[in-house]
Amino acid sequence: MAGNNVQIDINNVSKSYPMGAFKVDALKGVDLKISKGELWVVLGPSGSGKTTLLNLIGGIDSASSGRITVGAIEITSLNERDLNQYRRENIGFIFQFFNLIPTLTAGENIELAAELVDKPRDIMAVLSDVGLHDRAGHFPSELSGGEQQRVAIARALAKDPPILLCDEPTGDLDFETGKHILTLIRTINRESEKTVIIVTHNTAIGEIADKLLRLRSGQIVEMKDNPSPIDPDELRW
Amino acid sequence: MKTLRKKLFRDLFANKWLFIAVTIVIFLGVALFGSSFMAFLNLQNSYDYSYEKLGFADFTTKVTSSPPDTVKELERLPGVKAVTGRLNTDIGLSLPQKGGQSLIATAISLPQNSRPQVNDLKIESGDYLSSNDKYGLLLEKSFAEYHNLKPGDSILLDGTAGEIEFITSGIVTSPEYIFPAKSKNEFFASPATWGVIFFSDEVMSELTGNNNINEFCVLVDEDADVDSVIGLFENELAPFGVVEVVTSDEQPSNAGLKMDLQEFGEMAEIFPVLFLFVGAMTTFILLSRIIQRQRNQLGLMRAIGYSRRQVLWHYLSFALVIGIIGSVAGIIAGYLLAESITDLYIGMLGLPYKITGFHWMAMEEGVIIGLLPCLIAGIFPALAASRLRPAAAMRTPPPATGRKPLIEKIFPFVERLSLLWKIPLRNIFRNRRRSLSTILGIVFGTVLILASAGFLDSIDSLFSLQFDQIQKYDARLSFAQPVSQETASAVLDWDGVNEAAPILELPASLEHGNMSFSTLVMGIPPETDLYGLYTPDGNKEALAEGHILLAVAIKEKLGVEPGGPVTVVSPYYKAAFTVDGFVRQPMGSFGYITLEDAQQLVGSQAVISGILLGMDGSAIPGLRNTASQNLDAVAVEITDEIESQMMDLMELIDVIMWIMLGFGVILALMVVFTMITISLVERRREIATMRTLGEGSGRIAAMVTIENLILGIVGLVIGIPLGYAVAVYLMRLVQTDMFSFDLIFYSRTYLLTAGIMIVVMLVSELPGILDLNRLDLAKVTKEQVS
Repeated sequence: MAGNNVQIDINNVSKSYPMGAFKVDALKGVDLKISKGELWVVLGPSGSGKTTLLNLIGGIDSASSGRITVGAIEITSLNERDLNQYRRENIGFIFQFFNLIPTLTAGENIELAAELVDKPRDIMAVLSDVGLHDRAGHFPSELSGGEQQRVAIARALAKDPPILLCDEPTGDLDFETGKHILTLIRTINRESEKTVIIVTHNTAIGEIADKLLRLRSGQIVEMKDNPSPIDPDELRW
Repeated sequence: MKTLRKKLFRDLFANKWLFIAVTIVIFLGVALFGSSFMAFLNLQNSYDYSYEKLGFADFTTKVTSSPPDTVKELERLPGVKAVTGRLNTDIGLSLPQKGGQSLIATAISLPQNSRPQVNDLKIESGDYLSSNDKYGLLLEKSFAEYHNLKPGDSILLDGTAGEIEFITSGIVTSPEYIFPAKSKNEFFASPATWGVIFFSDEVMSELTGNNNINEFCVLVDEDADVDSVIGLFENELAPFGVVEVVTSDEQPSNAGLKMDLQEFGEMAEIFPVLFLFVGAMTTFILLSRIIQRQRNQLGLMRAIGYSRRQVLWHYLSFALVIGIIGSVAGIIAGYLLAESITDLYIGMLGLPYKITGFHWMAMEEGVIIGLLPCLIAGIFPALAASRLRPAAAMRTPPPATGRKPLIEKIFPFVERLSLLWKIPLRNIFRNRRRSLSTILGIVFGTVLILASAGFLDSIDSLFSLQFDQIQKYDARLSFAQPVSQETASAVLDWDGVNEAAPILELPASLEHGNMSFSTLVMGIPPETDLYGLYTPDGNKEALAEGHILLAVAIKEKLGVEPGGPVTVVSPYYKAAFTVDGFVRQPMGSFGYITLEDAQQLVGSQAVISGILLGMDGSAIPGLRNTASQNLDAVAVEITDEIESQMMDLMELIDVIMWIMLGFGVILALMVVFTMITISLVERRREIATMRTLGEGSGRIAAMVTIENLILGIVGLVIGIPLGYAVAVYLMRLVQTDMFSFDLIFYSRTYLLTAGIMIVVMLVSELPGILDLNRLDLAKVTKEQVS
């Protein structure tokens, strides 16, 4: 289900950063328009710039040049404080390694995000959405990888952001668990009309996307619509 | 942000041993500050109250002799609040309860039926003098306690008309003898041979055959200038021969107490500063490493919308928790310790009044000085954390550029060493800040241990110098009034006396140019070995006619060099001498001339004021009896007894120094434990990788130990000279006219310090090494690099 109105407008964006003794050009002149409610999958090998693209949209990294507009906000011109406010209200992150705080329980990890907004979603309701209503009091070390990722998704949903950014969400999970996580993300995208961008090097996952983007060496090499995305359950890799 | 608070406390709990270690360092620093500062305030308040309550004189003018009526004239002078005139003289007494043991007392006259307005007494037991008991007397408390004398006990005093029996009316404390110092030059006088007694002026006249007085104790008006009033007194009393003016600051007991107070005050500053600096340093390192380990978490916090300020506050809170717990616990412990120190100190000195209380300001200061270093130490890593961009924080940092460490460039053979040595060496250079922190921990621990141990060695050496080299006599006879030199020959006939050296001590002022210094000048026979005079280099000095030897401390007071002239001045004599050199003298600062020169100063009379005795050990116990049977008004001082009393007096300093030494060990233990644990936690992944490759845990423990020992040796190499320098500095602070001793370190102290530090290092690394042996290799090798 593709939206018609452009929600994310990326205009000639480049990004380079130092890596040890070297300078890495992570993105080179990328142009992209993403509409509300779309599910995008960004594919590419390691070092292609896909995570950098995600970080720039999420406002956790700044572009070296170019312009990114999300809704009515040009985030490339925001100062630190406004950028923080933007992340707080608009973005939910899901990471490959879950990035849960090990000293907080599942419920508290979600609460950590919920406390940041005026009208957060009910923590138990969010945990129920991801099928973990009975695991609220468990610490990350007491949860399986799939459960940890579901807590991370619940944490992203707790603020009820319009955009979900998922960086290799299945990268650290086994095949079956990975499919369940993708199903969950797809369901959230469909039911709550949140814009979802999944970054992965797993080309099979591209089949669930509304739009597919391929990056190589910081440049877009392919961008196409997928008129008939398949159900994540049908995926094979 | 209650979830962040939960995270804070759980992170603290997860790293509890590290946080406890750092908190203990802050706790010790604040406890040290609190206890010494609050004890200082308690003591100061107690002194002030005692002095005010008993009307401690602002100054005392001593004259040769003056009629008692002069007091009325002096009371009319501007700025004078009250004047008490009295006769102060040495008098011989004997104690019937102790088989007639004779000794010398400072006798002070008092009004018969009224209390003196200046230098009043606190009656500890019994009653004040009354007209019903003409021959009643009051005994100073420390003297009475030493001889177990109580009200009602009789004492025989030597009068011009023979012995008179007095009955003890009461036991008292005097503001002039809170610390029972006989004079500036005889600061440590033994109650075995000397005491202070008070009786009525009427009886004093009868006993001494002297109706006049020789001291005026003065209280000045609050708004009056003491120096101006002293000037008026000197003018008014000039016809009566002003001998000396002693201000309250110079009064021996008060000066001694103030010196002690000053030491407390300085202790309150120096040692806590050391602890708090180390506390700040370890807090900084600990927090920096925690932030480094939590880069992902703080990246996440920033990514989901936590502001820089929230992140800053969160990480600063770690330092705040350390600071608050350490400071509050420290100040409570400090308060309790201060109470004990005050009790111990006041009990030891017998201070008339004890004033203790809550010193809110000191407590607030304690909390602030505990918190401040933590805040300063915490703000930098916390600021750095808040400034990290979220994406950068979550990105795995690139490995540091590999290069040969400096040591391998300087010593190429290092490259050929086995991995057992090469890995620890490279680790040292790999994370220089971490290595530097461990070294600093060792350095500060060494400084504290060495500085405290240096004091203990110096005190020990002081006793050895004073009693093995200077006071080589076994006993000393002192006379209330000068006696003929022939007495010394007579004493030689006593049982067990092998040598008898007559001496003549003269109170005098030494003058050089426009500088002067009041002290005792001792006339000693040049040929005697019973009194040793040694230069700071340890060479024996001999006395020569027309020449004077001065205690080292006088050198600076007079600004005189060997070969320079010094004039010995008193109301009765004046003579010029050439300075021959300077001699070591830990207690007091005297001038030394030949006995013959001293006798010439008093009109070429063959008189002496004391005799130094070399004796058979078996004859010493009977010496007092022999002396009282054969001589009048004589005090017998047994050197072993004086040494033992001195040791008792030094006990407090000894205890403090042992506590400091203990604190030094704890400090080193906490710092080294923190650094080593952090270091091992950070290297868990690489150590786990080595283990998975088949490296034995024993070999890994050996690598860790080698690394720590190398750092320890570097720390010791820096810490030992620094500890020496700190000890020199501290020693300078406690040097006074009355008390000066050299800084001595025994070789065993250096070895012991090094040994303690190495044991501290080995003990500190134990928990970390045990933890490494329990590593879940599969899990740890998958952990993200931080």
